[in-house]
This record gives sequence, structure tokens and C-alpha cells, in this order.
Amino acid sequence: MSLHEDWVRQIDAELDGELTLAERAALARHLAGCPACAGARASHLELRVALARSAGEPHARAVPRPRIRGRMVLLWVALSLLAGAAGGWLAHARWGGPGQGSLEASRAAFVVE
Amino acid sequence: MPRSWSSKVVAAALLGATPALGQAPGFRLTYGVRVLERVSGEVRPVATGAISGPQDTDMRLALRTDTTEVEALLDVFPEPDTVTLAGAFFTRRRAGRSHRGLPLWEVDSYRREARFAWGGTARLYPFGLRRTSADRLLWLEITVTRVFVGGETRPVESFTVSDSAVDMTVEAVVRPRRAAVRLTLARGDSTSAPQLLDMVPDAAGRRVRFVLGHRQSRTLDVTLTRPDPPLSGRDSALAIDADVVCLRVVDPAAPGPPPAWVRCGRLNNVARRLPLSDRDTLVATFAWPAAR
Repeated sequence: MSLHEDWVRQIDAELDGELTLAERAALARHLAGCPACAGARASHLELRVALARSAGEPHARAVPRPRIRGRMVLLWVALSLLAGAAGGWLAHARWGGPGQGSLEASRAAFVVE
Repeated sequence: MPRSWSSKVVAAALLGATPALGQAPGFRLTYGVRVLERVSGEVRPVATGAISGPQDTDMRLALRTDTTEVEALLDVFPEPDTVTLAGAFFTRRRAGRSHRGLPLWEVDSYRREARFAWGGTARLYPFGLRRTSADRLLWLEITVTRVFVGGETRPVESFTVSDSAVDMTVEAVVRPRRAAVRLTLARGDSTSAPQLLDMVPDAAGRRVRFVLGHRQSRTLDVTLTRPDPPLSGRDSALAIDADVVCLRVVDPAAPGPPPAWVRCGRLNNVARRLPLSDRDTLVATFAWPAAR
């Protein structure tokens, strides 16, 4: 992505909340080194705020929140559970666990025949 | 009856009864031990043996695996028709590893007992009744019998382990009533003739004269004592020092208060050296007394 128009489209998409995290990071990296794009982003923001206020929403957000997708949440939950289980298995293999049964069950016992 | 006569009669009765109590018929105790293991439903013998000794004989048991160590001292309380087998157990179990990878152990101590008829058998499950993940279960079958005899005070041990994968020891624990003490005095390049003494712990001492060549001799007073009690509760409960005796030596010819030297050692063990001065060394060996 090297054309200025492409970056402007990315700015629109970012303000619409349609960029992924990686795309937002790439855009932020580009904005830091491109004053023209940074100015274009500021202009787009001012335009959106003005439109929102004219529509009777003085506190409307100029930039909508990124939408949280349910599938992404499920993916992260599954990844967290897998990471926890793997960590527990590794810790048990490395340092051992509480063992089976109670202390009393492992003590010596007499049985008279 | 005058009062003086009654007191004499009581004293005579006591004097007559004391040797009778001391010479009461004793018995010899025998622990028969079979170690069995069940693996995947099949029972196989691991070790077998027997321990016998005078009626105060105890049995010390030690079992070790990769994750558990069990030490126990088993003793019996005889009753006319039954016997109570009691044990003090000390167990170390592997509880895990430290962050440096060193093994962590938990230590546990407890007592167990079982009462059964003379000649009966009690099963001892040293690792508990719980089976391991490989469906393995190990136990000991202990049979306690007695035979009325007299004059035999030495323990006898016989134990055969048929599975070397099981690390276990079984030994008799008897506090000696007598000990054979062999003493030799060394001075420079010469040594005295060995003096063989049959000594009783905590009894009156003996005066021993050691002759070293021409016109050289030294007289010493020797006494056999018991060692000081162990410092740890585990050593005390397991009777680690049961076969330890101490030799206390006093030089009666020394000016002023006679100095005392003490040296302790196990029976049937290496010779103990006791430096008396710059030039004299007393070498002592303790052993079980010969059968009479």
C-alpha cells in the first residue's frame, strides 16, 4: 500500500471501525511519518464531529467503537483455556501435583487375617 | 509375733522372691515375615525371612521406593493368649519439586497396632491400602510366635529378598543385657595382651591391668554404660542406638580427681580407639556375648 488515496480510504475505514488491529497499527505507523495523511485524518474527524452535532448529537462519538465479534471472543476464550491447561500440565510434569487420594489413604495399615 | 520377727519375715520373703522374679521362665520371640506383591491381579513373593530373639526383641523395617520411604519399629505387647503388634511409623513421601528442580518431601509419623492370637498373622500394608496407578499393591504378612526357652539373649536374623527391585531391610532390635568387650592398650610400638571382659551395662566397673613389656603396666577402671538418649524423636522411636554401648575409663592412679574418658560403639562393629594420653591408646571392640 503506497498510494496516498489508499491511505485515505484506510482512514475512512478506521473511522468507521472496520479495520483490524494489524491494519490500525499499520495506519498509525504511516500517519506518524506522513503529515499529509495525518492532516487528512484530522479533517475527516472534524467533518464527522460537525455532522454529528448538526444531527443533534453534541456528545456523539466521532469515531465509532470497534465492533466486537462473537466468534473472535470465542476464539480468545478457547485459546486462553488451552494455554491454561497446557501450563497446568507442564507445571504438574515439572513440579508434581498433590497426588492421589488423601494422606490417610497412603499411611500404613494393619489388617488381621 | 514380735515386731522385729515380722519385719525379718517380710525381708526374707522379699529376698526370696527377687531371684525368683529374675529367673522367671522367659520366652523367645519370633517374627516370621513374608513380603508379597500383587501386580495386575497376580500375587508373587518378594521376600521372606524370620527374626527371633529374647522377649524384648523389636523389629525395624525400612522400605524405599522412588516416591516413598517407610521406616518402622514394630514391637509386641504379650498377653496370655493374644499379642498386640504395635508399630511407630515414619514416612517420607515425594510431594513434588522445587522451582530449582530439587525434590520436595513431606514427612509423616504415626502409630498403628493390631491384636491377634499367638501364632496368628497380621497383614501390614506399608504404603496404605491404596493401589498405585500400575495396579500394584505390596504388603507384609507378619506372624508372631513364642517358644519358652532360657539362656539365649542374642538375636537371629534371616531374610532373603527374591526381587532386587524392592529396596527393603528387616532387622532385629535388641538392647544387649551383656556385652563382650575386648580391650588392648597400645603404647608406642608395643601393645598389651587383649583383655576379654564380659560386662553388663550400667553395672559396677572392673579394674583391669594391662602389661606392656618388662616392668611396664597400667591399671584402669572400666565401666560399661548406655549412651545418652537420641536427640531426635525419630531416632528415639526407631531405637537407632539400641545396640550401642559406651565404655567409660578412669585412671585410678591419676593425681587429683581422676579423668574419665568415654567412647561409644555398636556391637559387632569396628574397633574404637580411645586416646588416654600422648603415649597410650586404648582400643576397644564391643560384641555380642558368646552363647552360654
